[in-house]
Amino acid sequence: MKADYDVIVVGAGPGGSFAAKKAAKAGASVLLIDRRKELGAPVRCGEGLGSHWLDELGLKVSPKAISAEISGSVLYSPNMKREVKIQNPETRGYVIDRKVFDKDLAIDAGRAGAEVIAKTEVYEVMKKDGKVCGVKANCAGDKFEANCKVLIAADGGESTIARMAGIDSTATLYDTDFGIEYEMVNVDCQDLIEIYFSKSAAPRGYVWVFPKGKDVANVGVGIGGLEKGNAVEYLDRFIKNNKRFEGAQTVAIKGGLIPVGEPLKELVADGLMIVGTAAHQVDPIHGGGMALAMEAGGIAGEVAAKCAAEEKTDKKSLYEYESIWRKKVGPKLMRRLRLRKVLEKLDDNDFNAIFENLTDKDLDELIKGDYKPVVQKVLFKRPQLLKVLSALL
Amino acid sequence: MFIIEELKGVSLIKIDRHRCIYCGACVGVCPKLALILKETFVEYDEKKCINCGMCAKACPMKAIDFKK
Repeated sequence: MKADYDVIVVGAGPGGSFAAKKAAKAGASVLLIDRRKELGAPVRCGEGLGSHWLDELGLKVSPKAISAEISGSVLYSPNMKREVKIQNPETRGYVIDRKVFDKDLAIDAGRAGAEVIAKTEVYEVMKKDGKVCGVKANCAGDKFEANCKVLIAADGGESTIARMAGIDSTATLYDTDFGIEYEMVNVDCQDLIEIYFSKSAAPRGYVWVFPKGKDVANVGVGIGGLEKGNAVEYLDRFIKNNKRFEGAQTVAIKGGLIPVGEPLKELVADGLMIVGTAAHQVDPIHGGGMALAMEAGGIAGEVAAKCAAEEKTDKKSLYEYESIWRKKVGPKLMRRLRLRKVLEKLDDNDFNAIFENLTDKDLDELIKGDYKPVVQKVLFKRPQLLKVLSALL
Repeated sequence: MFIIEELKGVSLIKIDRHRCIYCGACVGVCPKLALILKETFVEYDEKKCINCGMCAKACPMKAIDFKK
């Protein structure tokens, strides 16, 4: 361990490890630290990853990190009378093993030249003249200080590092979903991601079954933060009321918070960048954050290395990361946020009516962000939704 | 008012360590950073707690008890 680094990354999840790797490859001296004794565990995630991301991120996933290959998704209406399947080259993907996947990414970062230290908790973010300049941390009981030109906060849903640095990244109940998931065996699965919409089973969220093998699946539920009760109560009820899970055994419990609102208003400050779930860079519809975190982490790592080399790490210089990211991802996320805010106003009857005429082509259009044809179709059958749905036109 | 004065610095939350899966959801919503996730448990600073109850509402495992 050294006293000075170009870049310190806190949090070795997908976003942090990706940032560390990119920064190290760009020639920066990098320290990647994580609170956990074993990177990758515990898992807090549904573990789904679309295969198109592999090309987009230049990512190689080792066979060991892949639990199951997925051909598409199937969505169920609240009354379970209708299901809509979507299977095309773009819906292919994987359910991965985050324990292996995350560790692989940290290994990549280490191979690229980053120093990686596990079981290291940051207890203070150091500042000089208002600019972030390093961290005070505790590594397995030994306290140390390390200075940096750029600190990348990639510490996930807790987002403690940004807040220690004075940026309010606290998750609000309205814009956050809370999820719990059991990994279960003796659950019959196809190679499809299953999504169940229902206000009673998962208010402002959904129930998911992500296959991890022929008879193993992540079964989870996410609910809106302002809804009644806690996520585990909904999941236990769903499993109890569903004959399919008779005889199913739970081999893991995973959970966490899922920011489904806007990303943070500011992703950079003097000497600081915020990346991934810590920056609320999460898809507002499905709540996935892994790929978005890696995408942001990659940009942040490269910009951080460049700014550190040029000795220009004030907010204005680091803004390059934010600007590239917002241009690339911002409009899509905002469109999806608008869709989330409309969907949360619909009740089960609305959903049942919508499902009656929904086709896989409609779903494809929704996924691609083209809401108009579907909305027009729904309005034809259910004109009373005009006021709610007009936000999407 | 007397009661509120008495409660200053006294947190009304109780975290059940046996139920907690240390996912950090409570930490993310705590407006006062009164909760910190250690590796396998959540530590909380009673002096910082303002008894808003957000953590109990957020906890997906229902591991936090909050009585006002």
